[in-house]
Amino acid sequence: MQRISFSGPQARALWQPRFERLGEVALAVELEMVRQGRIPATLVWTGYDDIEALTERVRAIGLEAKPVKASLGYAADWPIEASIDEPKRLLDYAFLIGPAPYDVSIAEPAADDLEQTAMRSGYPACCAKSWAGHLRGGGCDPLANLLARDDRAAMPAHFALAVLGVGPVRHAPCSVHCSATRDCSRAFLDLGRELGFIDEIVWLEEIAGWATEASLVNGIAEITTAAFRCTWLSDEGASPHRRLRHTLAAPRPVKRKAASVELVGGTEILVELGTGFEAAGFASPFAMRSRFSAIVWEQTAALRRAASAVHVGCGDGLLLELIAQTRPKLKLYGLEEDAALAGLARQRLGASLPVLGGASLEALATLARLVPEGVDLAFVDPERLGSHEALAAIRVIAKSVIVIGTDRSLRRFKDMDTYAATMGLALLPGRAARVSAAIAAMDRLH
Amino acid sequence: MTVEVRPLGDKCNIKCRYCYQEGIRTAGNVPTRYDLDAIMATLDRLAEPFSLFGGEIMLTRRPDLERLMQLGFDRHGGVGMQTNGTLIEERDLELFRKYRVRIGISIDGPGPLNDARWAGSLPATRRATARIEAVIETLCREGMPPNVIVTLNRMNAAPDRLGVLCEWIGFLGSLGVRKLRLHLLEQDETEGGEGLPLTAQENLAALRRLRRLEQELPSVEFDIFAEMAAMLRGDDARTSCVFHACDPYATRAVVGVESDGRLGNCGRTNKDGVTHLRAGREAFDRQLSLYRTPQADGGCQGCRFFLACKGNCPGTAIGGDWRMRSIDCPVWFGLFEDIETELQANGETAISRSQQRSDLEAKMIAAWSIGDNPTLHSLLQQAEAP
Ligand code: SF4
Ligand code: SF4
Repeated sequence: MQRISFSGPQARALWQPRFERLGEVALAVELEMVRQGRIPATLVWTGYDDIEALTERVRAIGLEAKPVKASLGYAADWPIEASIDEPKRLLDYAFLIGPAPYDVSIAEPAADDLEQTAMRSGYPACCAKSWAGHLRGGGCDPLANLLARDDRAAMPAHFALAVLGVGPVRHAPCSVHCSATRDCSRAFLDLGRELGFIDEIVWLEEIAGWATEASLVNGIAEITTAAFRCTWLSDEGASPHRRLRHTLAAPRPVKRKAASVELVGGTEILVELGTGFEAAGFASPFAMRSRFSAIVWEQTAALRRAASAVHVGCGDGLLLELIAQTRPKLKLYGLEEDAALAGLARQRLGASLPVLGGASLEALATLARLVPEGVDLAFVDPERLGSHEALAAIRVIAKSVIVIGTDRSLRRFKDMDTYAATMGLALLPGRAARVSAAIAAMDRLH
Repeated sequence: MTVEVRPLGDKCNIKCRYCYQEGIRTAGNVPTRYDLDAIMATLDRLAEPFSLFGGEIMLTRRPDLERLMQLGFDRHGGVGMQTNGTLIEERDLELFRKYRVRIGISIDGPGPLNDARWAGSLPATRRATARIEAVIETLCREGMPPNVIVTLNRMNAAPDRLGVLCEWIGFLGSLGVRKLRLHLLEQDETEGGEGLPLTAQENLAALRRLRRLEQELPSVEFDIFAEMAAMLRGDDARTSCVFHACDPYATRAVVGVESDGRLGNCGRTNKDGVTHLRAGREAFDRQLSLYRTPQADGGCQGCRFFLACKGNCPGTAIGGDWRMRSIDCPVWFGLFEDIETELQANGETAISRSQQRSDLEAKMIAAWSIGDNPTLHSLLQQAEAP
């Protein structure tokens, strides 16, 4: 039993009703073929409730429907009450339909003559032979052979779609090259047109041009077209080692190129993540990076308004690097007393971003000379800075000062407000100050 | 069942090198508009708790996002949200609090460890990563610690980086993160993903190390290990979709509510850039086939963990073909073995070693053959009933 999954709502809206209609047309064309004697008979499956309508319809055109087989339908389609009360509704019924009265060879086919039986229901000789061989080998899905073949030729859509019973191929073709199947298919389309199924035949002709991928893997068949994919449990088929996928598929999406993967090891990574975290007041490089990232995030608005910024006590330059990533046009400066860290900061930030060494007050004086107009923002950890003079000097150079909370300060003072108050600073009211905050104007400094 | 609401389908602001949705985006199959009323109507009809999902959900207009959050809050007391975290802003925190949004953030590690979650250029990638790190810390400080989803790949879990990853996870624990979900890198169509997957041995070594870490860090939990142990105990009530016989034609565990309100499948099996609609009926052909197909042919025949693992997620199948077992089989097998040994040592019986195993397998196969998918738990209960 096949399951279909459409490739999108438009495909479903268009093709689901068309497939239903094509199923009806296929039956009509096939019955007409039997009536005209072009094929001796055909086998039609139906549910219990439709048996009467089928037999009536067949009788009306001078044919006869002979029940030959019943088998369980698919469990998931059973209504629960039916499974209890009416087991007959759980079955699908096969009817052999042929001219009345039946030819004996049709009515009572010899059990060992599978090939003849297939031919009597419209199989070309080559396909009948292949199918009978497959059945004798223990197979039961007539299409399994075709799907598992060792032939790289593309699968014609009509051949693969024989499984849906929508025409124009109404049997299991023996190969993708089978000319007899193509002839049958042409005859079906011509008769369909003669019978007035103009639109339906146009749809089938459209389907003929579909790129179709069909395969059988570990006993599961799958057919994929642009409009839908369809799957069913089939026969075992070939092992995947020998299996081929047969494709006349539309080109796959162009693969996106991305930069190649370059890797440095764990030690270098730790340096890249951040060095000097203890001196900066953090428990780990992860804490320092996370906090600095949070500060940049919290101060998004201030950074957006600023044209320049300085990090006083910039360590290995990590905060400045994170700021530069967010605001590449910002003019940035770093101040770091520890020569080793200042060296690392220069490495991290490159030559265009000045990192001034030396003691803070001197470095601040150098900065004041370097940027006589001052900087817009200064990021500072007052606890690390140590002196009020340095903070006052920063306030002279910077229009706005952002106090940053380290693990050390937040552990000691619990939150930014307490921290600032202890340092004799007043925070500007406004946004939540979780890990950083702007301090109020100079005259409010103690 | 997990309901994933995807107003903008697979639309995303970053381009993870390994993203399973990249095929869809490359094929141009991303909706540009959505019908919020239709989405809400579908959610109403489903009447199930849902998660806001993507692509990147934070690309959705905030008023619309708020309506969805409110619906989740009003009907189910809260709503899940899966995000890459890069677009979260200060103002969003209030929404998260107000509507009890349970946030899951994907990040593979700090700074360079997250480089596979590519944002177009190295600076953009690092900027995005810093934003995610900032958001995780901020959410923790706001008392809303997110769950963190980490995808193991060469950037964060190569043998010489694994130690760094573990330390970072320890740091997340100290911040307040309690739950981590570990993913193995998916095989997909994006060339950018080449070179990123770890070998099966590396994946297994990484997961084993992380499992030890979980035991060292009592405050942090990786859900995958607990789920695998639960599966081996036959207790599958709350385990995730990968252990529940997923049918890629009608994924039951994950249902997408798409931009126009229609139901979609879980996207992890869409390898060719097409989001297929759900088939009319669920079936267990994959599991039936895996059970009887030799392992040499891509099946699971004879595997004692089959009841627990079932060939795992079809989106991770060998060669991208859902009919095969998971390419990560050696990893699952190795971990199941570790956990089985521990359970046995603790005097518990793992179903993989239970005398009932073949009987349970037969019952499961019989159920799948008629389109039913019972829980292991229910089969065990039946077996134990007098
Ligand atoms: S495809 Fe994989 S991830 Fe998606 S529902 Fe199925 S098992 Fe889950
Ligand atoms: S461990 Fe491997 S062989 Fe066993 S069920 Fe899982 S995927 Fe199949």
